[in-house]
Amino acid sequence: MNDLEHRRMRDLLGPYVLGGLDPEEELEITDHLSNCARCRDEEQELRQAHEYMSDLAGVFEAPPPELKSRATRAVRLRGPRWAWLTAAAALVVLIGLAAAYSTGVFDSQEAAAATLKPTQLAPEAGGEIWIKGSGQNVKLRLDAWGLPPCKGDQYYELWFVEGKERLSAGSFTVGPSGKVKVDFTAPALSREYRNVGITSETTPDGPGPSKKKMLGGELNES
Amino acid sequence: MNGVADEVLVRRVAGTGDEGALRELYDRYSGLIFGAGVRYLGDRGLAEDLTQDVFTAVWRNADSFDPSRASFATWIYRITRNRATDLIRRRRARVRTVGDEFVPEMGEDDQSGELSRSFDVAAALGKLSPVHREILTLAYFEGLSQREISRATGTPLGTVKSRTTAALKALRESMNASAERWPRDE
Repeated sequence: MNDLEHRRMRDLLGPYVLGGLDPEEELEITDHLSNCARCRDEEQELRQAHEYMSDLAGVFEAPPPELKSRATRAVRLRGPRWAWLTAAAALVVLIGLAAAYSTGVFDSQEAAAATLKPTQLAPEAGGEIWIKGSGQNVKLRLDAWGLPPCKGDQYYELWFVEGKERLSAGSFTVGPSGKVKVDFTAPALSREYRNVGITSETTPDGPGPSKKKMLGGELNES
Repeated sequence: MNGVADEVLVRRVAGTGDEGALRELYDRYSGLIFGAGVRYLGDRGLAEDLTQDVFTAVWRNADSFDPSRASFATWIYRITRNRATDLIRRRRARVRTVGDEFVPEMGEDDQSGELSRSFDVAAALGKLSPVHREILTLAYFEGLSQREISRATGTPLGTVKSRTTAALKALRESMNASAERWPRDE
């Protein structure tokens, strides 16, 4: 077999491993492989690549076309990367300032308060919540400690709880200290809720709380 | 951005928030992530959530990607596995009743490493020339025969055959190069 013929055989090895040759060509290649060690090695390499591609194709499924724009929009809604990082940094600063600023509207006259007790997910955690105000909004202050520091997209969310009803009061993150002191504004409707809880969440999330409850407590009128 | 390495694209996302680079990564991996979601979560809606979650995480955490430790394919595979596990845990009751049968957690039944390897294959596919990528896409994802590819692309049948061989060879070489640079550690 001359070089040209040998090259023609080698060029057919791809469709051969795919099973895409005419019967005559396939027979020709099979014969050639029984006499050519170099092509047999190459055929093994190509067969491996073919199996990998077949595995990929077995899992692959094109997502709905609109998902691309939805995913891109979700990213855009969260802002450019630098904006998100800046916002996260700003939140850390605000939490720091809140911690440093220990006096203010919560010095007295709180309308309700709760002592937060830990769950098994955060046995060392504890905290206090004070609620004050009337009208359309109320103000809350949360002082918590012993919470596991947030990793990746994780954050904590504070909930008002009444029976099966849940109302989000806001979210926050916790650094390596595990401590947080942060203020929230919540709708006056929250006064109808008698319990509070803190859950661990990751983004993006559904509208309800996760099952990862870290702290909980009963609100008592002051 | 055809043929640009994933690791370069993710660096662009981290450096300048390049949405075009993110879209290119989406084009390369979304079919695999969505398909894996359908297979392992047993629910197309959850698979869509998974796909969206993974690319949000890539966008947010691009600067934590370290190419000296792992390839982008390995990194995004781990993100996918972790997100899928989160989704399963979060909606366990719903997921486990799909089709009245237990749906395994992603990675649990991937003992052979087929799924994680498919991410490597997707990465290798992304590095091929457009001509080679097109021919493998038509053959494996569209299921076209060599003759059908010839008709669809207006390329002589003989050329389609030799290109198929060259494309598979290039894919194998790209995977070998990646395996050399990032030996499997799991």
